[in-house]
Amino acid sequence: MLFWQILVDGFAISSLYALGATGFALIFGVSGVLNLSHGALMVTAVVAAWAAGNDLHVGAYAGAALGVGVGLVATLFTYFLIVRPLQQTRKIREEEKEIFILTATLLWGIMIQELIAYLYTNNAKTVAPIVEGVVRIAGVRTPTNEIFTAVVCWLVIGILWLLVNRTRAGKAVLAASMNPRGVTLLGVELAHVYIAVWAIYGILVGVAGVLLGMFLGVSSYSVGPLTASAFSIVVLGGLGSVSGALIAAYVVGYLETITAYLISPAYRTIPALLLLVAVMYVSPRGLLGRR
Amino acid sequence: MGSLSTSRILLIGLAAVVLASFLPLWASGYILGLLTLAYYFGVFAMAWDLLFGFAGEVNFGPTFLIGTGAYTAGILDNLYQPPIWMCLVAGALAAVAGGVVLALPALRVRGPYFGLTTLVAVLMLQNFIVVDASLTGGEIGLTVPDVISISDAINYLIALWFMAMSGAILFALSRSPVGLILQASGQDAVQAGALGFNVTKHKLTAFIISAFFSGLAGALLIFYLGSASVGTLVDITVGVQIIIAAVVGGRRTILGAVLGAVFLIAMSEALRPLGDLSNFVVFAMALVVVLLFPSGFFGLLTRAREPS
Amino acid sequence: MKKPAAHGASASRLGLLSTSAAIFAFALATPGYAQSNTPIKIAVIAEAQAVAGSSIPQAAQLAADEINAAGGVDGRKIEIISYDNHSSAAESVRAFQRAATEDHVNAVIASYISEVVLALEPWTGRLKTVMVTPGAASDVITQNIAKDYNNLKYTFHGYSTSTSIADATCDAAKELLVKDLHFKSAVVMSEDAAWTTPLDAEYLKCLPQIGLKVIDHIRVSPDTTDFTPIYNKIEGEKPDVMITGISHVGVQPTVQWKQQEVPIPMFGISSQATNSSFWQDTNGAVEGVLYGAFSGPGVAVTPKTLPFVAAFNKRYGNNPSYCGYTAYDEVYYIADAIKRAGSTEPDKLVDALEKTDWVGAIGRIQFKGKDSPNPHALKIGPDTITGLMLQWQDGKQVNLWPANVANGKLKFPKFVKLGAAN
Repeated sequence: MLFWQILVDGFAISSLYALGATGFALIFGVSGVLNLSHGALMVTAVVAAWAAGNDLHVGAYAGAALGVGVGLVATLFTYFLIVRPLQQTRKIREEEKEIFILTATLLWGIMIQELIAYLYTNNAKTVAPIVEGVVRIAGVRTPTNEIFTAVVCWLVIGILWLLVNRTRAGKAVLAASMNPRGVTLLGVELAHVYIAVWAIYGILVGVAGVLLGMFLGVSSYSVGPLTASAFSIVVLGGLGSVSGALIAAYVVGYLETITAYLISPAYRTIPALLLLVAVMYVSPRGLLGRR
Repeated sequence: MGSLSTSRILLIGLAAVVLASFLPLWASGYILGLLTLAYYFGVFAMAWDLLFGFAGEVNFGPTFLIGTGAYTAGILDNLYQPPIWMCLVAGALAAVAGGVVLALPALRVRGPYFGLTTLVAVLMLQNFIVVDASLTGGEIGLTVPDVISISDAINYLIALWFMAMSGAILFALSRSPVGLILQASGQDAVQAGALGFNVTKHKLTAFIISAFFSGLAGALLIFYLGSASVGTLVDITVGVQIIIAAVVGGRRTILGAVLGAVFLIAMSEALRPLGDLSNFVVFAMALVVVLLFPSGFFGLLTRAREPS
Repeated sequence: MKKPAAHGASASRLGLLSTSAAIFAFALATPGYAQSNTPIKIAVIAEAQAVAGSSIPQAAQLAADEINAAGGVDGRKIEIISYDNHSSAAESVRAFQRAATEDHVNAVIASYISEVVLALEPWTGRLKTVMVTPGAASDVITQNIAKDYNNLKYTFHGYSTSTSIADATCDAAKELLVKDLHFKSAVVMSEDAAWTTPLDAEYLKCLPQIGLKVIDHIRVSPDTTDFTPIYNKIEGEKPDVMITGISHVGVQPTVQWKQQEVPIPMFGISSQATNSSFWQDTNGAVEGVLYGAFSGPGVAVTPKTLPFVAAFNKRYGNNPSYCGYTAYDEVYYIADAIKRAGSTEPDKLVDALEKTDWVGAIGRIQFKGKDSPNPHALKIGPDTITGLMLQWQDGKQVNLWPANVANGKLKFPKFVKLGAAN
């Protein structure tokens, strides 16, 4: 019974982690940016969906769509306002840009967090779920919403895979993540690739955020932990490797669930952190890293 | 990008510190209290700059070293009540031990990977403090029976001169050959090693020095505040504020970190009438500095005085 | 139901009290020996961004405006100075220092978080500034006063201690769960925080006394986002009820309880549920949750309760959270104490506050004396303050206990299986 419970609960949370981390890994792979406002963007999507339901009284679908839309806009805003100016500036030496982007996105994330707390209090928000009720899977009473979450996560990841592997634009993105300079030789405008990747990332962030808002709910305090969890999953999987991030998401998700069930929910994140440190000692590039 | 000579900067710094020593004659206790806090934060930020700016280590966990020093001193005072200086020494030594622990992964992993390790270190320390509540006071925080002084002026002067001495030592170190080697190994460890420098030894030194000042400042801070808590000394948001102070003040300048710390604390106080929005505005201003003046306040100041 | 009779009884009990209240109100309104026209400054240090905390400055301002409209205190107006502490102990200490040494306030109303109040407590002595907390609950606050009365006498506990809150919950459980529903077992689920340590200790003592066997005692980290494992564990232990002690968490455990259709009722302390916006915050998932409080909308604990709630709602568009009621009362009895002391001098103000006998929105307020193990804690009992047990039903907070002020009946959502364990 306990085994099935862990299997079912762990799957939903892991799928959500996978979706959140995929976008994070993607932009690192393509543009070398570690976006520390990741959690803040997810929370923005949740709060937008929540506010749409509560203040504008729109339905669950419209609210969710609005949340994803706002997540996308906020992400593009982050790119054009923070990341791109830093990438293009001549005031900072190339090798220091990474550090400046880390600091600037961190600051940006905290600003979003403060603004959300100011406008909507720091209380946790939950998005009205699209599906309600429970079903039994192998004897485990599972909220239908949990299944919905897992299905949508994999649907989005599947579409992303098709996009990257089956379309011309996708192949350009893939190529850019392997060798940015080589792509320009092929006549692909790198700037367009970057914008496309950030837009994809924005949609992934929005969907992951809204699903999280329906499933567990978030508050402005979740900004830091959400960024940290995406960061550790991506590092564990190997920076820049999307498939590594997917595997790592399940490793972390299940490790957390097992700990929460078998030891105590209070220690939920500890074993995953220890594993992370251990993996980095043995193989500093993570599970499937290539940089 | 030219910069002032070491001795001239130290001289200007000394003059500023001497001037600041006369502040208690007219400033209110409240202003002194704020600056006391800002000075300790300045030391945290300078110690962090030595590691990050010079040794090139992305350290997200300055509070691991600070918290280790502060809590060691506080717990010792709570258990045995030795003279305060012994608690301070113990705190600084414990932080140095923590620095060595942190240095081990740093010698193996780089960049974001090391950054994450430091984040994990903070989370671990935080968990230990919360779980082992009987010793550390847990969520409530640790109250120490002794404080150095209840006089605002004395606390202010201690903080000021402690900051001045730490700043002088760290600054001199950064401009010495050791600092140059650190900088070289931070940028390209392999090349620095090939040139015959012992990268490991220098990095370890940087960690130990950074840890020593962080821990000592942390221990001094709790004997000023009279209490230690996760929220004031260990939490990741505290670490973020230290990083912001160092970057806004001017990275790789050591002394700029103090300007950044004073700026952060003064602004959040000056903007208090804005109410809930004050933090937002402070962070927005910091972001503008990062985006438009990446060399920070110190960079702006030194460049403005430079004729070239 | 013999509700009218019960109402009559309570009205006559409170009738006496309201007379004394009227005298005080009269005394306040009469301009007496005006010492000066400088305003009386009261600092409010609160969690303005948190749902529960946001009511504190609002309710305090409401009280101050009412007092000022009635002529102030001996002709002196009351001025509220608000500081947002961002739920941080360090920011609170800074705000307190600023309030005392820079803004020269005469008293401070501070925070609903026990950790914050405990951090501020030593400063009340160091800066000789009176502080009253509207919402922190830890018993340690007043235990500290007993240990070091001369230094810490400036601290007053304007809200019930955790131990008293647990006792009130047990009293309600005895009536509603044991007597009416024949419940036999419980699991205690509390968040890991300073205020729940004495709360849980008292739960574990009083629940068996009323006939509820405590099967398990679970402390949840306040950082918990996923309560699924906790609920599954509790369900596996088959208790009749979950006895809660939550304040920092609220939305997430409530929403997940509903979403996972956990068949066990939630009963106990859920501070966020006291706020009227909680229905919206949880998309209605709070339906059926029972929570203890000392006040509630529509419950006339004293003749002042309903007018306060109406005035608050009119001005801010929602009902006050639990610490809104206490903050409102605090401004009034601080003003009353200053009036009686004839001075804002801290030691005289402490003496006057110790003699407080004030009927406010939550009941009759009196503080325990210097020789009690909890000096400056509120006196709890039928003559002073009694707890309530409310339940969310169809978007409304309905009071179920005690019977004399009840305005509804116990009702659970379908997925809650009563006595499933038996």
